[in-house]
Amino acid sequence: MTVEARDDRPGAALSAGAAASSGVPEESLARRIWRTVPVLQILSVIVLLVVTGTTISGFFTKSSLYTTLILASFLGIAAAGQTLVILIGGIDLSVPAIISGANLVATLLAGKHWPFGLAIAFVLVGAAVVGVVNGFVTHHFRVPPLIVTLATGAIVTGATLGWTRGGQVSGSPPGWLTSFSSPIGTVFGIGIPPVIVLWAVIAIVMGIVLHLTVTGRRIYATGANERAADLSGVKTEKVWIGAFTVSAISSAMVGIVLIGFTGQGEAGVGDPYLFLGLAAVLVGGTSLVGARGDYWRTVLGALIMILFTTLLIGHGAGLAVQEIFIGLLILLFVGVYGREQRVRDRV
Amino acid sequence: MTARAFQYVRYRPSAFAVALLAVLIVANLIVRPDFLGPGQISPTLGTLAPFAIAGMASTPAFLSGRGGIDLSIAPLMGFTNILLVTKLFGTVLGGPEFAVPILLAIGAAVGAINGIMIARLRIPPVIATLGTYFVLSGLDLHLVPNPVTAGPNWTNHLAGSIGPVPGALLTVGAPLLLWFALRRSPYVDALLSVGDHDATAFSSGMNVDAVRISAYALGGMVAGIGGIALTGLVRSADAQVFTDYILVALAAVALGGTNLAGGRGGMLLSAIGAASIFLLSNLLTNLHASAYFIQVAYGGVLFIAVLLGARLLSGAAAAP
Repeated sequence: MTVEARDDRPGAALSAGAAASSGVPEESLARRIWRTVPVLQILSVIVLLVVTGTTISGFFTKSSLYTTLILASFLGIAAAGQTLVILIGGIDLSVPAIISGANLVATLLAGKHWPFGLAIAFVLVGAAVVGVVNGFVTHHFRVPPLIVTLATGAIVTGATLGWTRGGQVSGSPPGWLTSFSSPIGTVFGIGIPPVIVLWAVIAIVMGIVLHLTVTGRRIYATGANERAADLSGVKTEKVWIGAFTVSAISSAMVGIVLIGFTGQGEAGVGDPYLFLGLAAVLVGGTSLVGARGDYWRTVLGALIMILFTTLLIGHGAGLAVQEIFIGLLILLFVGVYGREQRVRDRV
Repeated sequence: MTARAFQYVRYRPSAFAVALLAVLIVANLIVRPDFLGPGQISPTLGTLAPFAIAGMASTPAFLSGRGGIDLSIAPLMGFTNILLVTKLFGTVLGGPEFAVPILLAIGAAVGAINGIMIARLRIPPVIATLGTYFVLSGLDLHLVPNPVTAGPNWTNHLAGSIGPVPGALLTVGAPLLLWFALRRSPYVDALLSVGDHDATAFSSGMNVDAVRISAYALGGMVAGIGGIALTGLVRSADAQVFTDYILVALAAVALGGTNLAGGRGGMLLSAIGAASIFLLSNLLTNLHASAYFIQVAYGGVLFIAVLLGARLLSGAAAAP
């Protein structure tokens, strides 16, 4: 997360499994599957689906499944850039500020009779600028991303709230945006809400980029050992700027589709997405030390978080009980597999 | 002259924090000459206290290194505030002689649980304390779904004054005294060496796990003091009020000049960092700036401070 931590990780590329069996060169098949396939997460999604479906009547209907998936899309898209940032060993705390800011500014511009497409373009470009600043400053000046993104987040929040006079925006979303985020929305006449399709497209693109392209190898190389990556010709500064820019843009996209979902601009609409987004990435199994994990895991993480919340709400849990159980869920998941090496193994 | 000043600041990151604090105090005095006057000082310090304590409580986790961070400090302050108001006040345990040790023990226990998860179960600090963050903020909301007003009680003096002495001197002073006492013991040296390079500390025979666990416990205990100071300030039990302190606590540590990767820094620096943030917003409020502009300015100062810090600390190495 910081310069020192990034440079001082000779063992980061080792998997947890390999570390646990250090000295043993061969890896059993079971361990290999455990390490490469998110077994626990897939099982959890299945169990959660079964438990939610059998104990909450009406869950297995089209509209309620779609609503669940739409909520998971918002979380999953918000966590897309965060996954990249965490893969390279950073963290982005400006996500909620950009979601709320994009949400407010796009609505404000719509209220000023801007064409909505232009408003979206404006917001995405603005978000990209913030992302470039985040990536450039953290990498170039070697300052902790935690603090840089905290600062830019505060600036974005203050500036957008000031511009919109505390979030008083009167614009309303165009009809297509409302149906974009609605359970009864359609894509080319097929009855799937478009935002779910958008999420699926993002997941496929992220999967291809991370696993099948040179860019993907560069991202993992940067996260595993930045100095080694630099020396082998990876422009790590570009990778950092790119990851933070994607994070800012994906956050802004969530802010925009949320206008369609709630029907208005709302101050603070992004607030839950900071910690829930981090939780989705981490529960999915992407590691904070960098270079371990991918976006598929975050997709599963987002599904787990939303299904779990739906289950709790369906059983009458208030916000308080939800938060307690989400906390325990995070600890349980990471306690099972996301652990670090012992100090004595790092000597 | 400039070169010497540059060298001086370069080896003492605290110098920047102290200089910023001095500038802000002077600026505040220019805008409002009575700002440190007898009627103003006690309530001002009372408002500052929970910020300063939240910053101090977050410090040991950062110092312990290896990505050390404690996100649960703010909800823990809220938790002790709520316990004090709803469970202790009005019972035989409501007086300071019982309530203070109980709350500090609870804070230290929660911190120790964090530390055990991090050092023994080897869960990364961000995740472990994010988990406790959720659990504590859920508990807070469960205990007081709506804010509960606290009647007149002994904590009111802590946010005001005890005789002529501002009560905040006690709440901010206690963790500082504790920290300076620990600095005279081998503990802080152990903490800094573990934070700087834990494998080396381990190789030289140090009990790295014990040092880490106690660092989180220390942070939790200071958060307990923060909960008491918060109670004096807000005079109620409130599950929402802690959210104001989450990010400021982290910012205060960074602004103070503590190395977030561990190994360098201390609690006094974080208190100075918190005071700077507080004075900045105080100054802008007195200049009738809008609340939104204050937030922009706060982000800007944090941004510039961390950049300057990086430039000064690494000197030419940071240049392109």
